[in-house]
Amino acid sequence: MQVDFKARELTIKLVYYGPALSGKTTNLQSLHRLVAQDQRTRLMTLETRDDRTLFFDLLPMVFKSADLSLRLKVFTVPGQVIHNATRRLVLQGADGIVFIADSQIAETRANAESFINLKQNLRDLGIDVKQMPLVIQFNKRDLPDVRSDDDLAVLAAKGREPVFKAVAVRDQGVAETFVGLLSMVLHRLDVQADLSRKFNVDPQKLLQDVCDRLHLAGTEPNHARLGGAT
Amino acid sequence: MTSSASISEIMQGATPALDDLIDRDALTEVLESFFTLFRIPVRIFDAEGMILAEARSATPRLICQYVDGFPKGRTQCEDTVSRAKSVEPPGDHDVTHPCFTGAAYKIFAVNFDARVIGKVVIGPYLPAEVAEVPKSLLIIHETLDPSRARSALNEMPRVRAETAGSLIRHLRATLDVILFSGHRALLMSQMHVASLRESYRELQEKSDEAQRNYERLKELDRLKSNFLATVSHELRTPLTSIIGYSEMLSEGIGGELSGEQAGFVKTIRDKGEQLLALITTILDMAKLEQGTMPMTAGSVAMGTLASEVAATFVPAARRKTVHLKVDADPRTPDALADRERIRQVLTNLIDNAIKFTPSGGNVTVIVRPTAPLSSDGDDDDLGLAVLAPARQDVEIRVVDTGIGIPESARERVFDAFYQVDSSSTREYGGTGLGLSIVKKIIETHHGTVVCEGNQGHSGTTFVVRLPAVHA
Repeated sequence: MQVDFKARELTIKLVYYGPALSGKTTNLQSLHRLVAQDQRTRLMTLETRDDRTLFFDLLPMVFKSADLSLRLKVFTVPGQVIHNATRRLVLQGADGIVFIADSQIAETRANAESFINLKQNLRDLGIDVKQMPLVIQFNKRDLPDVRSDDDLAVLAAKGREPVFKAVAVRDQGVAETFVGLLSMVLHRLDVQADLSRKFNVDPQKLLQDVCDRLHLAGTEPNHARLGGAT
Repeated sequence: MTSSASISEIMQGATPALDDLIDRDALTEVLESFFTLFRIPVRIFDAEGMILAEARSATPRLICQYVDGFPKGRTQCEDTVSRAKSVEPPGDHDVTHPCFTGAAYKIFAVNFDARVIGKVVIGPYLPAEVAEVPKSLLIIHETLDPSRARSALNEMPRVRAETAGSLIRHLRATLDVILFSGHRALLMSQMHVASLRESYRELQEKSDEAQRNYERLKELDRLKSNFLATVSHELRTPLTSIIGYSEMLSEGIGGELSGEQAGFVKTIRDKGEQLLALITTILDMAKLEQGTMPMTAGSVAMGTLASEVAATFVPAARRKTVHLKVDADPRTPDALADRERIRQVLTNLIDNAIKFTPSGGNVTVIVRPTAPLSSDGDDDDLGLAVLAPARQDVEIRVVDTGIGIPESARERVFDAFYQVDSSSTREYGGTGLGLSIVKKIIETHHGTVVCEGNQGHSGTTFVVRLPAVHA
């Protein structure tokens, strides 16, 4: 996080993590579509010829609320196992993480391995895993042979992270996941850096403004959210 | 292209400097093509006001040459240029900066990522609406010739306001693409270098660690070989002779033995075999501690294995009138384990259970599937929604109704040579190494073993958890 009180700017870095081909880039493409009319921003993808992310994708966004600029840098990591060094570089300085899990039952192991890799990389970077705002998205809900809604509800109730369901290719659940994480990040920054007082800004209002730009009805409750504590 | 931002700044989403995003020569070529098309000079400055690229004619404008001949003209010209430099156009709009000659400049900010990182100055050009030589020009000197001034002004391209707007939009769009591509290339190259460095560092660390491990293992291997050689030779050889000769005596090879003599020889043989078993156990322990116990992980159907082991104890249980049974849940997945080592574990636990259970008691072995205790041992429920479905454990409970172990001693029973009280060694026998070996074997399997009470009864429960084979 970077705070510039003079310029009234708040820069937040969010990272989309997850196993290969779980839909991290697709989430960013969807977010880009959702904000495209609102702001002129380009989604930068550093990918190889086979459409796999090589280094990362970057979607910069700026939301203005009252006279405050909320600058968001949304990154994805490369999911392929061999790119671990790059994943660690991208994770540096992250303020919040969305973990994109693939709902297909066949991908259960890949999801778990990627999550363990995330925890290890955070530890290697000296980041306290438990302090990091984190939400989980189960993507590709439209595919056959996916973990059932009931299963997800049970898992979400047991775990402590909020769990969201999504079909990113159809823009479903993408904004909800994003706002879900942003809400946790703003809350944490408010507690840590006393945002509301120093900026004289209401984080809830800020969040509502972002929701409006994403054409999302409200910050909560929402249908894609399954459970977990904030 | 210079790169002033470090990789960690870039990863924080820092806004790069304009100079980092462009190639000065290439940008100059773009501006020159603009100048060739429209004959309007154009300059690009960075955030500090340093000129990065420009395109203009080789000789000054006629009007500039003309007013330069008048001292007041020269001063006013310098003044116009210095004021132009200090103009800070707002983010999205352009500013018209007038010149006393009637010409004008358009100035707009170069935005990147909602921040101003430079500015563009277009001009001078003559706004289309300027019809006459303006008063501000005429008053610089009484000898100024209006008709010469007019013809000099007319040499400048005339530009309508809306055309100026289009030109600015065109330049903005062009710059936008250049900056985006430049940023992409910058990130790409910096990530390349950083990733390589990081991979190299990681590889170096691993290779150092591998080298250290190799050295350590080599040393351990040497020690182990020495130890094993010594133990087998120094202890086992004479023991084998003791056992062998007492066997020969019992078989009457050295002559007929009296009943009492046969009894003594049998004791020598039994104790010799007990000692041999003890040496074997200690060797096992040493191997486990050194991590040199050969283990072959495979898929083990724990219910079947438990029944097999229990079957070998049926005679012993019957002798003590202890009721022994195995209760295996058919849904239990196979455990990932070394069959022979786990057989050793079960043998040890069941043997203990029968040994410490008085006549008429029960020993039950329960095998069933269970959820893992935690995701991976150290972060309680973090990521449970993702991790839990991928894991399952196999649980084996050996429950007896014996004398029980006081709660305070339940952790220490796994320590080598520990006995709950010394009298039990004399009463029940044993080396005090069995449970210690059990724990070491289970830990090598990434499993856990704990000792609990037998709920609601006297007695003890040993609970072993082993990871299941992944589906």
